[in-house]
Amino acid sequence: MDVVAHIHAGQPTETPWRFQLDEMAWRDLVEGLKHDSLPFVGLWCDGVAVHALFMPHGTQPLAASLMLEGGRYPALSPARAVSSLYERMIFDLYGAEAMWATDVRPLVDHDVWAETMPLAAAPGGAGSNKTMLTFQPSEAMQAAGGVTAGSGPASGGRESPLHIALALDGDVIRYAETVTGYAHRGMAQRLKTCRVEDANRLTGRYVAGACAAHQAAFCQAVEAACGESMGPEVSLLRVVVLELERVSTHLFTLAGIARQAGAVLVASRCMWFREKLLTEAAPIIGSRLMMDHCVPGGVNLRTAAAMGELCSKLAELGEEIYPDLVTLWQSYPGLSSRLVGLGVVDSALLEQVGLDGPVARAGGGDCDYRRDMRAYDGLWRFTSGRHDGAVEDRAIILLEEVGESLRMLNTAGPKLGLSAGGRIDLYYEDGEGIGMAEGPWGAVLYWVRLKDGRVEHAFVRDPAYSSLLALEAVLPGQNVADLGLIRASLGVTASALDG
Amino acid sequence: MGLIRAVFDASFRQGSARLKPVGPRWPLLLFHVDTGGCGGCGMELEALAAGGYDMQGAGFGFASTPQGADVLLITGALTYAMAPVLEAAWKAMPTPKGVICVGNCAIDGGLFPENYTIMGGLNRKVHINLRIKGCPPTPQEVLDGLCSLFGQRAPAAAYAGASSSSTSS
Ligand code: SF4
Repeated sequence: MDVVAHIHAGQPTETPWRFQLDEMAWRDLVEGLKHDSLPFVGLWCDGVAVHALFMPHGTQPLAASLMLEGGRYPALSPARAVSSLYERMIFDLYGAEAMWATDVRPLVDHDVWAETMPLAAAPGGAGSNKTMLTFQPSEAMQAAGGVTAGSGPASGGRESPLHIALALDGDVIRYAETVTGYAHRGMAQRLKTCRVEDANRLTGRYVAGACAAHQAAFCQAVEAACGESMGPEVSLLRVVVLELERVSTHLFTLAGIARQAGAVLVASRCMWFREKLLTEAAPIIGSRLMMDHCVPGGVNLRTAAAMGELCSKLAELGEEIYPDLVTLWQSYPGLSSRLVGLGVVDSALLEQVGLDGPVARAGGGDCDYRRDMRAYDGLWRFTSGRHDGAVEDRAIILLEEVGESLRMLNTAGPKLGLSAGGRIDLYYEDGEGIGMAEGPWGAVLYWVRLKDGRVEHAFVRDPAYSSLLALEAVLPGQNVADLGLIRASLGVTASALDG
Repeated sequence: MGLIRAVFDASFRQGSARLKPVGPRWPLLLFHVDTGGCGGCGMELEALAAGGYDMQGAGFGFASTPQGADVLLITGALTYAMAPVLEAAWKAMPTPKGVICVGNCAIDGGLFPENYTIMGGLNRKVHINLRIKGCPPTPQEVLDGLCSLFGQRAPAAAYAGASSSSTSS
């Protein structure tokens, strides 16, 4: 069965790439997906229907919708493992049940909220738990045996709150399971019937480290819904912000990996380099964490005309500092040997959890949405050549991507010249659009439906769900002392997971 | 929230000023809890700790357990799920102790005001010894804020232009 053709055979909707299926056709879709590699992006609910988004070619979307029947729908998780997280989120927010789901544990609602099923037509009463969440191990975890231990949600570190429950055999992890939801802010509810500008500010606070990626994707989705697309100048300015975000986030991650591997000097060099770049960039761009610069219809930069010069300046700093950092990383005694072979995410696991971004590129995956984005024409080139998928490979990929992004800034600088940036006024027509950006950890995608000049509904895809599944899968067999290191190298961030 | 209010005490400023001198030899140790934000304030705290802003020289450090901390440093808008965790951390800290809120989220919810999952920051819920506004505040602003607690001036950062007024993050 050709799954793409099967979706196209559904009933057309007002959105050319979204088709309405009935329940039998949806069930056939799930069966078909078990034997088809169609890339799955995500699943969401709007209270009336569920929608599954796929990406058959490059950035070309294809969606299937199913009206909820009695508050239930057939799960996609038997065919796409990562769908189980979307299904659990949908149940927690709407009470809509995924039939034959592979995992039915709560994802973000742990019986502590002021309202259960907050997005359902008739929300439930307040949760009854007023104390600390108690971890309920799954049957698989119980079967693993061993001594129970855990990490988070408040470890004293600076990472966002997540609990990782472990079954240990001495120092070796036998089984790992996570408890998420500590950082759930109700993004889906906040984005509902929200003013477009306010929604953009919220998307910039979805997850720090990928603020520009989220806002760029959201803005593109809004622009697509309005039938607009940005000119080359604005697109290039967005690329500059996105690449600078990648450099900053990768250096931050590399510092975390080096610190936890005991290479404190390397960690402080990474953070020092990052500060040098941000100290140059922030006064011109207007922020250090790249928040609120991509806005619907354009960009908002403190001194847009100085962006070209800034790119050249950052590239110069890169030429001065980056080669020595690479040498330091490669030659620092014990660093590579500490990371080699750790936390391997191989191609089979990548495919199973649907993970993209640098983690996939370090495991032989050839995936980078920048390849298909017009704004990256003449800038992006394929560079990754790692296949082993261990923490060491991921660190090297991140380091290489820092160099590549600085090279892109160098190329973008002269093209920008004294570009003024700016924005156009969008006329918010009713409609749907999607937008995507290659964030520091992989593709960030927004689907937005506009109605009466507001965001009626939005769906967010962040690589975090797939990274969480990858984390749980790679931990068994690892030493418990490497937990933080492996988590940092996979980019598992609670704020992105919890929404 | 009554539960939390009951356990936060207001003794920090008077108590610590008398009982504990502050400076490099007596660092004030902060236990950080992210109670549910975007993580931006946490990233800026990490930059403060590791990015060349002489935090230690100014007399501050991070504690890895609440038992070893003087101050609870809170970021994030306070989810219902994190409230008991925060309370447990507070209870585990020795007295005198205090509360510092870093970022708009932690103060009043910022972009994440009260809803079914968020309590909307700590303002008017507990006694806060120091509020450092911003979304997020820069590492230098956090350091300036910390130093102001004891009437000190923050040491200069190792970067030209990283002054407190340069940029908001
Ligand atoms: S105050 Fe702003 S930067 Fe800090 S956690 Fe909240 S949303 Fe993020």
